[in-house]
Formats: sequence, structure tokens, C-alpha cells
Amino acid sequence: MRFINSTSLFAVAAFVAGTSAQAQSGGQIVLAVPQFPTPRNVKTDGGETGVIGIQIAQQIVSDLRTTRSIYPTGPENLRHYTPTEAGAPLYPNWANIGAGALVTGYVQARDDGRINVVCYLYDLKQRREMTRKGFAVAATEWKRAAHRCAGAFYTAVTKRPGLFDSRIVYVAATGSRMQPVKRIAIMNWDGTDHSYLTQGEVTVTSPRISPDGERIAYMSFAGGMPHIRIMDADGSNDRQLLQSNSMSFAPRFSPDGRVIAFSMAVDGNTDIYVVDANGGYPRRLTTTPGIDTSPSFSPDGKQIVFESDRSGAQQIYVMNVDGSGQSRISFGGGANSSPVWSPDGDRIAFSRWNGSTIGIGIMSATGGDEKILTNGWQDEAPSWSPDSEWVMFQRTQQGTGTGSLLMVSIGGGEPKAVATPQPGADPSWSGVVQ
Amino acid sequence: MILRALILASAFAAASASAQGYQPYPYPPAPAPAYPQPGYPQPAPGYPGVQAPVLAIPVLEQDLKLKAGSNTVRFGRDSYVLTPQSQATLTAHAQWLIMHPYVNASIEGHADVRQTRDYALALGERRAAAVRNYLIASGVPPQQLQIVSWGRERPTSDAVHDATWLQNSRVVTVLKQPPQQLQPWMQPQSWPQPQPGNP
Repeated sequence: MRFINSTSLFAVAAFVAGTSAQAQSGGQIVLAVPQFPTPRNVKTDGGETGVIGIQIAQQIVSDLRTTRSIYPTGPENLRHYTPTEAGAPLYPNWANIGAGALVTGYVQARDDGRINVVCYLYDLKQRREMTRKGFAVAATEWKRAAHRCAGAFYTAVTKRPGLFDSRIVYVAATGSRMQPVKRIAIMNWDGTDHSYLTQGEVTVTSPRISPDGERIAYMSFAGGMPHIRIMDADGSNDRQLLQSNSMSFAPRFSPDGRVIAFSMAVDGNTDIYVVDANGGYPRRLTTTPGIDTSPSFSPDGKQIVFESDRSGAQQIYVMNVDGSGQSRISFGGGANSSPVWSPDGDRIAFSRWNGSTIGIGIMSATGGDEKILTNGWQDEAPSWSPDSEWVMFQRTQQGTGTGSLLMVSIGGGEPKAVATPQPGADPSWSGVVQ
Repeated sequence: MILRALILASAFAAASASAQGYQPYPYPPAPAPAYPQPGYPQPAPGYPGVQAPVLAIPVLEQDLKLKAGSNTVRFGRDSYVLTPQSQATLTAHAQWLIMHPYVNASIEGHADVRQTRDYALALGERRAAAVRNYLIASGVPPQQLQIVSWGRERPTSDAVHDATWLQNSRVVTVLKQPPQQLQPWMQPQSWPQPQPGNP
């Protein structure tokens, strides 16, 4: 029931949901997810630990149902077990449930008010443990622990990162085009837990979420001068990144979240700088008289891809993080901009202006092998999914100028709509914590 | 003899003044010097420390538009080159700003909505810097000017058709009240309260 709700409400979930009906066939692993027991039922901020145990099992089932490779069952109609058995399952007791793998775990209240969530994945055929995870989280954060367990199980089975704990930040635009009201919004990858982080009193653009999903860098017109600000993912602790009055924009976190690359404009010349994510003195990486902007780190943190119009039109370049070895990699025609490096390091997504429309494209990280994925009037601002399989982007309608978020598979095909309460722009998809 | 009488008379006057007793309040501060420029914020009478502009910014902006023909110069896509028409407009802006040294100008650069967002911000700044450099070269003091880029966040035209989007590639000269500098007569004063019973 929960699954049906989430697909009808949130188109994001729909794209991977298609095959769950053919459960037993097609090489899927059937995974039994009984409810998590608790050693002692304790009332916490997030509810009783016994109830949390049921909800966590439900959430893991709900998450894994959106995948093609795992078919989860439960938590109803499965036998109960004790917390002690969670770490040492009695395999004969699980032999007749028709599942190839089993999830166990428990929820335990801690003295400090938080809860321990521990989860295990067992291969029932070979009778061995495949992976395990343990978290001490605030009782109200049990859902994130469930997402991370589901992600770990997905990774153990498929060797690919799961999306379940990833989040999406974007700009929600309301008001007229000439007097727009822009707010930064955050939601889970499937559209749940949507909230606004700024209230629209100043224009904000280009939010970028850190790879661990904990912080957001964005550009704000507060005070009249565009500058980069940084805040926690719940909207607290909002502050200016630089102590400078120069115009700064286009922030992007390094893969470890410690460094931010950005653009600063001084006297008509825009260059790329890096600065510690806690602030400090920026270091300049480019010195050409052209506009150098939209930096994005490679996943190993050793290189930066960026756009520059030093050749006359916007093209895509790669350099080392110290600014050395700058070389152009886009030669496929048109003007190419806003490059983003994929989390697996293999590809770079970008947008291309061909003289009348802007489309989303991908190319090899070393240049070449270009493929244009979309053909809208104006498709831009690409952002990668954590598993490097999808590119989310912003589409602007001709005539009305209304923006919306879509995502397209790197294999091609028709883009899918990402449902947002208001017109959306500038998506940024977080990574997942392994 | 006459001189002696004068000295005597002034001495008498001084003596009578001092005999009249103390001053209940200190003298009010010296009046602000008369400023020759219209449009300069004068201290409002009776309210030291409060500025009341003689001419409001919208009125001055009307004047600028009237004298220069427009407060906007336009650009081609990706371009920050000032056309001869733009240069004529900006020369008029420069003359106006030289005539009104007590009004600041914010040079606001914009890019069209078909630029990607980051590049639009950089391009708006580059255009604004080109305009500022032209104004400085035409004699406007640099401290009278500041630049800001709005990127593509404030389109001037509501329509986003192929025919109209280029209208958003522009730089607008926006007049600003200069930041208040604290003048001596604006210093906060503590006036002694009149005591009841005192004359």
C-alpha cells in the first residue's frame, strides 16, 4: 500500500518500480524482512522502540521495492525472533519462507535518549553474513538509519550504491518572472520529507548539497551583492563563506566535503578559486582574462572540470586541483557549459547550446564519446544520481518560462518528471554515505 | 573720545550680560554649511541628525532618463562591447553624474535567460565592469560607482520567446542615496533637561 502511494504521488519512484510485479522471475533475490525486535520496549522521542522496529522493517521493504534486483517481503507474516538471534540466525527456522536472503536487526534505547539501530543481511542458501550496519541515531531519525540499512543491502547484492539515503536540494520558484520568489527546498530522493530552508525574502540560486548530505552551499543576493553562503541541511547555522565583498558564485563541494570550489568576479574578470569549507583565504586557480566558472571536482578529488570562454565560446576544460595542466576536452560543436563529474568518475554531464536550444549531454571524462540526451527548448543544470545512472536537470518551457525538474537515464530514453510542489530549478543530488 | 565711549559701551554691555545670569541651555550647534548642490541631503530643520533629501531618487532618475535618453544600454548575446549608441548614452550618464556628485550610481549588469546560470552572473558582471570603466574614463569619480550583477534573475521582459529574450542583455544605471557619512552636526547630543522651577 505504501509503495502504491509513493509511486502515484512521486514520479521519481516510478522510474525504477516497473518490474516489481514479476517478483520471483528475472533473477531477483527474494529478501525476507521480519520486524526488528527490541530488548526492552522504551518510550522515546520517536515513539516506542518496538514500534520503531516495525517501521524500520517497513521502510527497508519500501526502499528495496523500488529496485529491480531485490524483491523484499515482510514484515507481516514472518516469524518473530529475539534480539540475540539477530546476530546469529537459526537458519533452519528460516528455511521454509521461500526467501534467498534474510534481514535481521534490533532497536535498542540508549541512556542518552538516542537509539541503537543494528541491521544484518544473511545469505540463507550459503548460511553466511553478507553485510551489517550499526547506527546510534536520535530516535526521531530512525528513518535515515532504515534508508542506510537498505542502501547497504542493495550495495552488498548489486555492488552499486543505493539511492535511499540520498537527498535532493533545488530552488522552488514562485511569483512572476520579473519578480520571482525563490526558496531553497530539500527532499528525499523519492520526494518525501519535503521542506523549505530559506523563506524567499532574498533571491537565492544554485544550491549545492555536500556529498554526505549534511551541508548546503548556495548563492544569495542578501545585502545586494551576490555571494556564497553555507548552511546545515536543516537550514540552521547559515553564514557567509568568504570574508570578502567581491561577487562570488557557483560553489561546489569537493568529494570529501572539506573544500569548496567557486567563481569570484573582480573587475569584469571571473576566475575559479578554492577555499576551505569552513572559510579562510581563497586560493586562485585560473588566471585567464576569460570567464572561468562552474567548477566540479572529480570523485578522487584530484581534478576539477570547469567551463571557460577563453576560446571565444563556452567550452569545457579540465585542470588539476592546484590549477596546473588546464586543457580543453569539449570538441563536439556548439557552446558547452555547466559540466559535472559523475560520482563513478567515468563521465561528465554538461549542457550544450546549439544556436537555438540547450540540451543535456554526457561525455567521457577524458573527452569525446559525446551523447546529447535531451531535446527540450532549454535543458540545463545537470546533477548526477549517486549511482551515476541518472542525470537530473532543469527544463524551461518556451513561452511561459516555467521551470521543472526531470531526470534522464544515461542510456537515453524519455526523461521522467520529478514531482515538486512548485516549479523547480537548479537540482543538486547528494551522494550516499557508504 | 569716540573710541573710548565705544569701549566703555561694550564693557557695559558685557557686564550687563554676565549680570543677567547663566544660560539655561547650551547654545545649539552651529548650523550645517550651505551646500551648493541641489539633491544633496540637507539636515531637516529642527531634527538634527535626520536627513531629508531635497530631491528624491525617483525624481533624479527621471532627470537622468530625460537628459540621457535612457538609463539602460543593451548588448548582443555573449557580448560586452559598447556600441556607439551605448557610448553616447553613457557619455550623457557620465556628464549627469559629474553634475550630481552627491548621488551614487549602482551599475547593474544583466544577462539573457538563455545563458546558463553561472555564466549569466559572470557575463552580467563583465558588462557592468565595461560600463563602469567607460564612465570612469569619462571623468566620473570611481567612488561614486559600484557594480553588481543580477545574472539572469531579473528579466525585463515577461515573455521568453526567441524574439524577445535578447532584451534582457543590458546594463542599467540605478541611482542610489550615498551611504550617510556622520557629519559633526549629526553627532548624538545629550541635552540637559530643564529643571522644574528654573526660569
